[in-house]
Amino acid sequence: MKALRPLLLLGALLLPAAAWSGTVACGAPEEMLEASDPLPATARAIASGSLRIVVAGSASVLGPGTSSPDAPWPARLKAMLQARHPGLKVDMVVHGARGLTAADTAALITGEAARAPTQLALWQAGTVEAVRSLDVDDMVAALNAGLERLQATRTDAVLIDLQFSRFLRANANVEPYREALRLVAAAHDVPLVRRYELMQFWAETERVDLERAPRNAKVATADRLNDCLAQAVLAVLEEGVAQARAQPAPKP
Amino acid sequence: MRSLIRGGSGRGPGRDLRADFFRGLALWFIFIDHIPGNWLGNFTLQNIALCDATEAFVLLAGYAGGLAYGAALDRKGWGFGAATLLRRAGTLYIAHIFLFVVLTAQVGYSAAALDSSAYLDEMHLDAFGEQPYLALLQALMLRFQPAFLDILPLYIVLMLMLAPALPLLRRPVLLLALSFAVYVLVRLLDFNLTTWTGAGWFFNPLAWQLLFFIGCLLGYSRRCPGEAPAAPPSVPFHPALAGLCLAFLLLAFVAILLAWRRPEALAPLPEAVAAVLAGVDKSGEHPLRLISILAIAYLLGHWVPRDAAWLRGHAAAPLLLMGQHSLPVFCAGIFLSFLGRLALEYWEGWGVQAAVNLAGLAAMVTIGAMAAWYRLRDRGEPAPAGIPGSQAAGASALPAPPPASKTAAE
Repeated sequence: MKALRPLLLLGALLLPAAAWSGTVACGAPEEMLEASDPLPATARAIASGSLRIVVAGSASVLGPGTSSPDAPWPARLKAMLQARHPGLKVDMVVHGARGLTAADTAALITGEAARAPTQLALWQAGTVEAVRSLDVDDMVAALNAGLERLQATRTDAVLIDLQFSRFLRANANVEPYREALRLVAAAHDVPLVRRYELMQFWAETERVDLERAPRNAKVATADRLNDCLAQAVLAVLEEGVAQARAQPAPKP
Repeated sequence: MRSLIRGGSGRGPGRDLRADFFRGLALWFIFIDHIPGNWLGNFTLQNIALCDATEAFVLLAGYAGGLAYGAALDRKGWGFGAATLLRRAGTLYIAHIFLFVVLTAQVGYSAAALDSSAYLDEMHLDAFGEQPYLALLQALMLRFQPAFLDILPLYIVLMLMLAPALPLLRRPVLLLALSFAVYVLVRLLDFNLTTWTGAGWFFNPLAWQLLFFIGCLLGYSRRCPGEAPAAPPSVPFHPALAGLCLAFLLLAFVAILLAWRRPEALAPLPEAVAAVLAGVDKSGEHPLRLISILAIAYLLGHWVPRDAAWLRGHAAAPLLLMGQHSLPVFCAGIFLSFLGRLALEYWEGWGVQAAVNLAGLAAMVTIGAMAAWYRLRDRGEPAPAGIPGSQAAGASALPAPPPASKTAAE
């Protein structure tokens, strides 16, 4: 073990430091919102004034427990995008249901992208697999196949990982699924919205804690959570668009 | 505490304390890794290598199995060895069912207490609540394995596999060839035992058996009547092989560091690197994981001397006690990690982190010490004075020390 000690120290130094400076996305630290990859199709669509987005995932994309149809995070995101880019026409298609696996949502997304030219797919995955202890490999295979098809149709993709809750963390083996999502995103040069880390941060810093919200504050907290999530996704999108604009030519 | 350690007092010169120490370490890491959100989880094997403590545990379980059941085979024959193995597997099965009941009760309680409708869209965790009789039946058949209860079923099946394969310990090449063939076949055909939901076992025993049997062969040394036991087989030291192992481990370490901690730093690297890492599956014991643990074992085996002084020092004693009584310590560790998960579900902060880890480790060491004490007593050897464990009685998963003992109060 002695020989490993320097390596462990190095690992400790590289751990993400908890930065409290950020003011975007409900106080989330900026490094949680870094998009590692450019989003060229989205950048072009925003420049041309019309953007079609497909959102797919399990039920959480529908914003369960929120107060109105405007409150789920995809609707909030649409409003934020339009506020930030006046005149932009945003076509937001949302597919989600309880218990949908990555294979199910892959079919929904690629089907939707085939139906009409789509510039951006926001793909939430992992929660259903973790809760039901489904094969990690199957999830990875479905994500790989889906992302390859999206790349073929020049649709930008952004992955969104699991929800955080203390109950889920205590009762489901979430780590293998989180790791797999991180690696799949890296393997395809696709940004990952680290929803699990963000929600954990919000909960532990008592900014938004749906799990421990009193019963009469549940709906308001769910609204706030969806708003924060929309802000986080928006931050990742803006970063990816900025990166795409900084590149002289779109990727072949 | 030292007097409770087998081979620690110089009476058992044959025992390799390194195996005990690293097994103890693996058990501790498994406890830590089974508590998501545990801060120490940033420092276990899985953060620096492609493999994790499960591999170390299975390899060393094989090593201990080859040693113990191989000796039983040589002294008293196949039947005796196999019967002993079956009894072990039976004990593990009972432990698994007990832990299943505990976990199911808690999940059901928590799920009912949690107002989840607004938040968690996927509440199938409480499968037992939906179809209790079917769930019970499937659990008894090891086809329903709740999260974190997946190593014990693997261990049970591995023990059951060793029983018929016991005589093959004397034909190492044949055993290795058979085991490797099964491993390759299972990986090529993507074959796995299925669970209730149709998914595969989290740890596919038919793939993991290769690592287990490699451990068995490393632990077995044939004893003929009237002769001293032969030295157990070892892979001789070769600088080139050691260099290769080191290079592989360093490369994997860098890749993991980037992928786990700074995924954005992977971007300039070829996508193939991440694609390879994403393909390293745990269920089927991916070859890179296998190579990883074998490389670690090879390097440690040659670089840590068998008679290293620190192994006989005070710092190593707690882990030695854990490693020498891995069955009760392992089962208790699974139970303790469950308590730890509960604690972290309800409280957060440094206090609870420290309490969970200190109490958990202390309880596992105590259980190791108690198991050692029972063993000495059962063999009629003078039990040493002082059970070093009263500090952790609150978190202990086992009943208090035997009432007949006048040493317990010390």
